[in-house]
Amino acid sequence: MNKIKLVSRPVNWNKIEDPIDMDVWNRLTSNFWLPEKVPISNDIQSWETLKPHEKTLTMHVFTGLTMLDTIQGTIGAAALLPDARTPHEEAVITNIAFMESVHAKSYSSVFSTLCSSADIDEAFRWSEDNPHLQKKAEIILGYYKGDDPLKRKVASTLLESFLFYSGFYLPMYWSSRAKLTNTADLIRLIIRDEAIHGYYIGYKYQLALAEESEARQAELKSYTYDLLLELYDNEIKYTADLYDGMGLTEDVKKFLRYNGNKALMNLGYDPLFPKDECDVNPAILAALSPNADENHDFFSGSGSSYVIGKHESTTDDDWDF
Amino acid sequence: MANQVIELDDNGVETGKTGIESVMSYHELNAMINLWDKDGKMQLDKDKLAVRKYFLDHVNQNTVFFHSLKERLDYLVENEYYEKEVLDQYRFEFIEELEKLAYSKKFRFDAFMGAYKFYTGYALKTFDGERYLERFEDRVVMVALALAEGKEDIAISMVEEIISGRFQPATPTFLNCGKKQRGEFVSCFLLRIEDNMESISRAINSALQLSKRGGGVALNLSNVREYGAPIKKIEGQSSGIIPVMKLLEDSFSYANQLGARQGAGAVYLNAHHPDILRFLDTKRENADEKIRIKTLSIGIVVPDITMHLAKDNEDMYLFSPYDVEKVYGVPFGDISVTEKYQEMVDDPRIKKQKIKARTLFERIAELQFESGYPYIMYEDTVNKANPIQGRINMSNLCSEILQVNTPTTYNADLSYDQIGKDISCNLGSLNIAMAMDGPDLAKTIETSIRALTSVSDQSDIVSVRSISDGNHKSHAIGLGQMNLHGYLARERIHYGSEEALDFTNIYFYTVVFNAIQASNKIAIERGTSFANFENSTYASGEYFEKYVTQEWEPKTEKVKELFAKSGAKIPTQAEWKKLKTSVMAHGIYNQNLQAVPPTGSISYINNSTSSIHPIASRIEIRKEGKLGRVYYPAPFLSEDTWDYYDDAYEVGPDKIIDTYAVATQHVDQGLSLTLFFKDTATTRDVNRAQINAWRKGIKTIYYIRIRQQALLGTEVDSCVSCML
Repeated sequence: MNKIKLVSRPVNWNKIEDPIDMDVWNRLTSNFWLPEKVPISNDIQSWETLKPHEKTLTMHVFTGLTMLDTIQGTIGAAALLPDARTPHEEAVITNIAFMESVHAKSYSSVFSTLCSSADIDEAFRWSEDNPHLQKKAEIILGYYKGDDPLKRKVASTLLESFLFYSGFYLPMYWSSRAKLTNTADLIRLIIRDEAIHGYYIGYKYQLALAEESEARQAELKSYTYDLLLELYDNEIKYTADLYDGMGLTEDVKKFLRYNGNKALMNLGYDPLFPKDECDVNPAILAALSPNADENHDFFSGSGSSYVIGKHESTTDDDWDF
Repeated sequence: MANQVIELDDNGVETGKTGIESVMSYHELNAMINLWDKDGKMQLDKDKLAVRKYFLDHVNQNTVFFHSLKERLDYLVENEYYEKEVLDQYRFEFIEELEKLAYSKKFRFDAFMGAYKFYTGYALKTFDGERYLERFEDRVVMVALALAEGKEDIAISMVEEIISGRFQPATPTFLNCGKKQRGEFVSCFLLRIEDNMESISRAINSALQLSKRGGGVALNLSNVREYGAPIKKIEGQSSGIIPVMKLLEDSFSYANQLGARQGAGAVYLNAHHPDILRFLDTKRENADEKIRIKTLSIGIVVPDITMHLAKDNEDMYLFSPYDVEKVYGVPFGDISVTEKYQEMVDDPRIKKQKIKARTLFERIAELQFESGYPYIMYEDTVNKANPIQGRINMSNLCSEILQVNTPTTYNADLSYDQIGKDISCNLGSLNIAMAMDGPDLAKTIETSIRALTSVSDQSDIVSVRSISDGNHKSHAIGLGQMNLHGYLARERIHYGSEEALDFTNIYFYTVVFNAIQASNKIAIERGTSFANFENSTYASGEYFEKYVTQEWEPKTEKVKELFAKSGAKIPTQAEWKKLKTSVMAHGIYNQNLQAVPPTGSISYINNSTSSIHPIASRIEIRKEGKLGRVYYPAPFLSEDTWDYYDDAYEVGPDKIIDTYAVATQHVDQGLSLTLFFKDTATTRDVNRAQINAWRKGIKTIYYIRIRQQALLGTEVDSCVSCML
């Protein structure tokens, strides 16, 4: 395995070394979106029906998510670049990095549409002061800055597939209660992206892992479970900070465990949490579906289901009438 | 959260049975139908449980109780909830009988979605919005009383038809009838815009007025001069149609007060308008904010010539509406581009640009992938099938209304010079399954036509004179259909199969006969027809040609059986001849009779599949402003019928087009036709479907829907609607 590239190689998309690179690239590019696509302003009325503590919670959740996406966009994805196995993987990772920045920005567009500047500043201050949120960032950043490429991938996958979800819970919860449904559309677009990011990085991890010695494989496995548990312990405290006021903490924890298991699956490992501790509220689970089988009312925007189309010209045969 | 479920019967009374999910809310129970159970089975029973739980936990607790009907009605009239005038048309004893009749039918909501939708969106509530003042039966009675206008026998028929689920009035009618504080009964408006500032500002004014009343408004931009056209002969002055679209979009969102029903506006543009590419680009994902159109729907009017130019892979010319109007003396939209194409190309007075015709279609398809828009109206197909004198140059927000219009002119002080005719249409749909089960399809249709006619008669939108004048002259209505897929699946027929097409053809054939007959009856009773009947093909008899010269009968055994066991009688050629004579002698009351809308909310209440589409999913996930995510199982779905519920993406565009084509030939207006593609489709597949639709005589195409499957490995576990 030669990962030190002495020669610069131009990326040749006509010579694909790993077809998954192409699949994921196609998927990511056809999923491209910008926050302006979603008419968040239609949630203003709904936002006003939230009680003050509900608004505060929502803003805290979003600043937490902004923090994670900031890390992932500016450091996380970039940290994966040197370990790319193929030039195409590098291209995919740059796309991931860019979309993470789009995500981070889209939370801001939710803020600016729904809240006042004073409230926004207050929420960002909260994110800087919350010890559990800070710790979460610290743990992940520690591995991104470390020199073990495989550990970086594990950290990244856990972030993409696990750490986001304490935050994603809330917009899904609101949407199942008919609140902030446009915001939920936007979050669903983010979830759609994160699901693919987690899957892809986990997949690349599995490839690299297969080339390692048995001892090293065992080390990484226990490292992964340890890290997940460390993050989980912290996440539980973070969750309690956020959700205790609404009595949702237990429900969110189930959701965390469910996604923790999914993250492990992405990395090729067996689930850690028993199934019956992961019986997520069905309304949340069903709201998560990244598929585009949602049916819109006639006058709505395009929701979370549209993709950028593949262009193909018609031929004379098509016009034979 | 292991606890008990307390099982309830239909009246919300405990049955003594227990289960494990008792602390689950109705919301959660409903969501469970989208998840497989431990044995991989569907959990449809959970939805029934959700309905019961909803009544017990929510509806019953929040319904105002009255000791008697008298007390209830007095209270509602005194406190200005009900319209006194509606009730005063009847004896109290009669209203009492009617209520008894409605309650005797033992109506129950089949799906949680229906119940939830009804109580959140339709039932009369106290002014603080906290408590319910009506149950479903009360609403039906009030609608019948309002629409029967004092005629007791008609009120009884209406209650029978509505409570049995055979006929369902559209949302504005069903929601508003009999309420003192109410919006309009009519939901759909189409306005012309002429190429002058007076008309543009009037259009914005009208859009505000109509949106305020809860209507969806479509406007025709084809007549408005293009970007760079001269103003007062000075070249390069006009900023084209995009700024007008921006103004309209903002007007709609203002009048809706950022409410749940957003962006209820659409604009149409002729494919040969020079701004056509700019018009399409407003829907681009990465369009600049200055030109990006988010909530306004767009539609494109495509004449036959465009199709032929694309066939020959030629350039298509775009014509300046400003010059065309100067040369021909009529607005661009009132000219048949197909007919005048060569003449306009050769006329040096008309400024023109050219683009590749196929490029336009590719661009349209690209945009449809990104945004679902534009709608398409095949202009020449529509006009060839139009029985009314005049020209159809646009459609509406759901692309099923197709009527003629005429321009309005203004004086310098902005008052009316000559009031033209703009379009409104009120709708209501039959549930095909229930209508076929009913004792008498002819009577169901006649009652429906009378109900819709009554809405037209009672409507008077004084703030937009061109609309109210148009309505008084035309009495246009649109009888629609829904639950086709549900019916077919229940009868074990695959959507789009030979038997399905055979059924659709004969069903619509039967409907058109009875609809015209009912309208003819009303014309005879009142001694009057719609204005300008004498110049229609109904009056000349030409309209009836295909019915009096051709036998229409079921071709397959299965469909023969279905009609034999139903209360539906297939009209014979002799009956058509009789009807033709009567129409030519006495006219028909309604200028337009049928239009098949996409049916959203009302099909949930009515437990139907939408319109004559295939289902979007066996378990449909519905997101609406007021509702959040709610799950709706296809009506009649069971382990047995599962295989007959191929969803629209599996069914594919061709079968949908075939189904609509056999129906279209019997419908005077349009049918909302959405095409569904898997994400493996390319722009070419979309273009092919558009070509195929045009060849088969489809009048309009509504949305394009693309479904993207979750990437392998990223799906949610055990989700029913994720299944391929």
